[in-house]
Amino acid sequence: MGFKNLINSKKILSLLAVFMLLGTSMLFAQGTESAGATASPAADAVKDNGLATAGYYILLFLIVCFVIGIVGKILRVFDLTQQIQGKEPINWNNVMGICCLIFLIAGAYGAYWEFTVHGSMILPGAASEHGVKIDEMFWTTTVLTMIVFVITQILLFTFLFRYRYNAKRRGHFLPHNNTIEKVWTIAPAIVLTVLVIFGFFTWQKITDNVDAKGEPASINIDITGHQFAWELRYPGKDARLGATNYKLVSGINKLGINFKDKYSYDDLQADTMYLPVRKSVRLNIHAQDVIHSVYMPHFRVQLNAVPGLPVFFKFKPTITTAEMRTKLDKPNFEYEILCNKICGGSHYNMKKIVRVVTEAEYQAWLSQQKPYLTDGIKKDLKFAAEKKEVQPNRLALNN
Amino acid sequence: MMAKIQQEDRLNLAPKKFNMWIFIFTSFMFFAALTSGFIVYAGGSSAHGMNMKLPDAFMYSTAVIILSSITMFLASQAARRLQFAKQRLFLWLTIFLGIAFFAIQLYAWYYLVTKMGVYFSNPNASQSFIYVFTGMHLLHIFAGLLLLANTLWRSYRSIEQVKNLYSMQMSSIFWHFVDIIWIYLYVFLLLNQQ
Amino acid sequence: MSTLSVQDHGVAHHEDDHGQHHHKATFLNTYIFSQDHKMIAKQFLITGMTMAFIAMILSILFRIQLAYPDKAFPLMETLLGRFAPGGRLDSNFYLALVTIHGTIMVFFVLTAGLSGTFANLLIPLQLGVRDMASPFMNMLSYWFFFIASVIMLSSFLVQKGPASGGWTIYPPLSALPKAMPGSGMGMTLWLISMVLFIASQLMAGINYVSTILNMRTKGMDLWKMPLSVWALFLTAILGVLSFPVLVAGVVLLVFDRSFGTSFYLSEIVLNGTQIQPYEGGSPILFQHLFWFLGHPEVYIVIMPAMGISSEVMSVNSRKPIFGYHAMVYSLIGITVLSFIVWGHHMFVTGMNPFLGGVFMITTLIIAVPSAVKTFNWLATLWRGNIRFTSAMLFAIGMVSFFISGGLTGIFLGNAALDINLHDTYFVVAHFHLVMGSAAIFGMLAGVYHWFPKMFGRMMNERLGYLHFWLTFIGAYLVFFPMHFMGLDGVPRRYYAFTEFESMKQWLSVNTFITWAAIMSGVAQLAFLYNFITSIFWGKKAPQNPWEANTLEWTTPVEHLHGNWPGEIPTVYRWPYDYSKPGAEHDFIPQTVPLSQTMSSNLPHDFEDNPVGLEEHTKWANTQKSNEEVK
Repeated sequence: MGFKNLINSKKILSLLAVFMLLGTSMLFAQGTESAGATASPAADAVKDNGLATAGYYILLFLIVCFVIGIVGKILRVFDLTQQIQGKEPINWNNVMGICCLIFLIAGAYGAYWEFTVHGSMILPGAASEHGVKIDEMFWTTTVLTMIVFVITQILLFTFLFRYRYNAKRRGHFLPHNNTIEKVWTIAPAIVLTVLVIFGFFTWQKITDNVDAKGEPASINIDITGHQFAWELRYPGKDARLGATNYKLVSGINKLGINFKDKYSYDDLQADTMYLPVRKSVRLNIHAQDVIHSVYMPHFRVQLNAVPGLPVFFKFKPTITTAEMRTKLDKPNFEYEILCNKICGGSHYNMKKIVRVVTEAEYQAWLSQQKPYLTDGIKKDLKFAAEKKEVQPNRLALNN
Repeated sequence: MMAKIQQEDRLNLAPKKFNMWIFIFTSFMFFAALTSGFIVYAGGSSAHGMNMKLPDAFMYSTAVIILSSITMFLASQAARRLQFAKQRLFLWLTIFLGIAFFAIQLYAWYYLVTKMGVYFSNPNASQSFIYVFTGMHLLHIFAGLLLLANTLWRSYRSIEQVKNLYSMQMSSIFWHFVDIIWIYLYVFLLLNQQ
Repeated sequence: MSTLSVQDHGVAHHEDDHGQHHHKATFLNTYIFSQDHKMIAKQFLITGMTMAFIAMILSILFRIQLAYPDKAFPLMETLLGRFAPGGRLDSNFYLALVTIHGTIMVFFVLTAGLSGTFANLLIPLQLGVRDMASPFMNMLSYWFFFIASVIMLSSFLVQKGPASGGWTIYPPLSALPKAMPGSGMGMTLWLISMVLFIASQLMAGINYVSTILNMRTKGMDLWKMPLSVWALFLTAILGVLSFPVLVAGVVLLVFDRSFGTSFYLSEIVLNGTQIQPYEGGSPILFQHLFWFLGHPEVYIVIMPAMGISSEVMSVNSRKPIFGYHAMVYSLIGITVLSFIVWGHHMFVTGMNPFLGGVFMITTLIIAVPSAVKTFNWLATLWRGNIRFTSAMLFAIGMVSFFISGGLTGIFLGNAALDINLHDTYFVVAHFHLVMGSAAIFGMLAGVYHWFPKMFGRMMNERLGYLHFWLTFIGAYLVFFPMHFMGLDGVPRRYYAFTEFESMKQWLSVNTFITWAAIMSGVAQLAFLYNFITSIFWGKKAPQNPWEANTLEWTTPVEHLHGNWPGEIPTVYRWPYDYSKPGAEHDFIPQTVPLSQTMSSNLPHDFEDNPVGLEEHTKWANTQKSNEEVK
């Protein structure tokens, strides 16, 4: 109770107010000073650890609390005087009902603003063949769910306003109504069935990875994730990638390519992923250490790279980088590969640029890429081969 | 008032027994998860099978634990018929058989490691799973033995028959469950041993 | 806790007068090692709230990093030391913050804090039970939870920091101490803490199920139970069946970490050169085991909130809950379906595409019971007489969030759409609305509604209004824009958006979100202040402050062991007889026999009671003839 008296004492309150006003103005001055200080590179970082700024915010918070407390007090006093005068005190049910209505209107505007402003910042239309189907699916779902969203939220908040408490009224005793319950069980079930069927077939088509007959074979590209970068491997003229084995990984053979496999001789390394437009690409996805995820948002491609579990994703890019640049009016636009599965400290910085180009540009680029089988590795391999020839002799001697 | 609350406490024994049944469900889910883990793992690739024969020790331990279930049943029966000496005798027998089971399982591990070269730390996790199954089951056996010891100790302290019967039932539910789980695991392993 | 004792000593003596058959009530066994379900509920609540505040502070820390990725805050270095060198969060520590925020919120606040509080409080009180089936196990469950919380927090004191592989702790990242600093000692502590936590939840869940099935008072058949108890019952069943599976997953992970087995590990090369000895393991296996718990877990989180909201909305709309049976069946439907939908978390892990299709179907089916619940809530409000108590506002907020967040689930449950949305901010927005905010709002509704029952005093309603509007608006401001970030392909768990040109457009949005988050964080202080001062100085609560029907309001305001001083009341009717036409008041408690309310009885009330129905028709006929005479 003592505490309450303390709070209620006007003297202490006014003292507190004066103290706070003085304190804030002083700290404000300090705050601006320190802001100036941090701007100069030679600031003494040890002395100024931001305490003053934090203190400023804390004081600000206290003032807000104080104001809220005063408003609360005023409301209570107002309530009491109304009661003394025999008038109705504040009807909080009405206030809250109106607040709900205001929230509904403000929220509707907010949602509209979000959809127009932030909604215009989302990904452009898919740049791959299957992505177009995903986009269609997405927009259908969006329209359906947004209708439900708008209707239910409007009903919720208008009901709150419309049926706010009134002492003269009683609620309508309505424990159940089987017909209407059946309707709103079956209606969503039908809508969802449509979505499921639509989605199921889209999903099947996307994941159906077998090359159709008569279709030219996809370009095989290996992408390997490790902490924290992606490695690319293109097949050379033989259009086939050599075998790999994680046990062969070393400083000079980052991917553990088995160079005894003749297909590996012309495997190419690349810094940027070049893809020919309108050619089916088969992305073979590997990981060396932890789970990563190949995520190419513009192509609607994502698949996890799991160590020990090689997987692949087949897609067909349809828009070249140059076309996309003009379409979006962004001269610096690049397609990107991101890592989308938490993989460690630099997870946020694991990217690769993708360029979709015409077939001619692609061939020109490909011819400039260096093979994995460098001279260094060749020398190493030869050395190893010689060693192996020596070994049986030694074994024989030991016997 | 006091008598009434005591009366209610006694009635509370039924819900407590029910607790044991739910715990058994829980425990069953645990083993189901482990075995389905095995199925997912072994189904992942043809090289992931167990590719070995189980040691014979598991057969003996199965016999022992089935026997212990029988003695446990006899002990409960004796308790219900107020034959306390007989109850204690069979409880002792059950505990003894339980310890024997424990020992045989440990011997089976020893045999697996020394004679068969099947290690826990193993590139073929199917074989590691044998240790996980038996090890986790042994933990349950250990808990069951504690429960049995508690029941035995209580029966020597000659507590009320209601409570004696209650603790008898609790431990027998659990012991039979542990027995059944072992049979489940053993059959599961037998079916997958190739 | 010690300050609480000053207040409640009178109660303790009171208990003694009523002939305690247990030991003498000492401080230790009344407040600390209490076996009384009401005290355990309060312990769960206060521990859960503490954890929630800690997790909230963690979230604000990483939000600051996202808002100002290039700015140094020297104060942070002072506070966090080596985790924020030069006043900027370390990127590994950022992940640790995200991980521990998620773990604490999902498990320690919304599982233990929510179910623990309200199951312990409401199951015995609303069903007419003196205490749980096993009060001792109940007490143990709290203490295991407490120790788990302490261990989880203690991981901040470890040299390399707490676990930081995300709350889903996917191996190999979590299994290899060399893969990231947090996977060392921090991960070990995480695993120990979780095993204790699961033990706690199992003990608690077993007790709840057993109490509900065995110990209901006379007349309380299953179809007379309030929806809150139904929800808590099904939640407990979910927990009991799914938590053991996580134990299995965690046990295998422990073996991989410490004993060199390869259940989850295979073909790993660390740092480009260190070839690891593991072979043949399957990281996907862990994901299956994890999500077999993980998906039911989200329903463990949301179902109690649904139950509490149903109860609160019915009381404060002065109307029966619409479609009680449908509400129960939809809860049961959600419970059953939740076990067969876990694969929708794994659409892009390289799982068999056919399985993906199956999981997509089951996932979208689960939207049907959820939709039914939403429509029933709306119908409950329709033509009600709505009293805006703070609890009511939070229950409404829960419904609003559940709609907003639930609808985006239809996108994510669709395998084809999930390809591009998986692990983006769209997911973050989705689950923070549907299970984060909605469940927290359900919990807050419960706290405001049953505060008088727990502490014998009322909370300040006006502060409650302030708390509600700031939090409600704040949560929408935080999570609504995140949908669009997700649609722009911004991945979650990114330390900074500065490395990708395409993400830079979201930097200003991030600043905005952070300030909205700080605002809603600060709003929680209003709640904290209200909560603490109301415990000590709040207005004394009447016995039935909300004029509700359920049994808990028939107990005396002052707590006593055994809940009811005399005999436990008998139950005669369902809990939702609000505004029944012909009744004297607009509520009829469950303990009032139908024979006392002849004027308000409906033929429907005598569905399986032919004798009663006969009486009723006889009575109705005499009424009719009387009127004719007049």
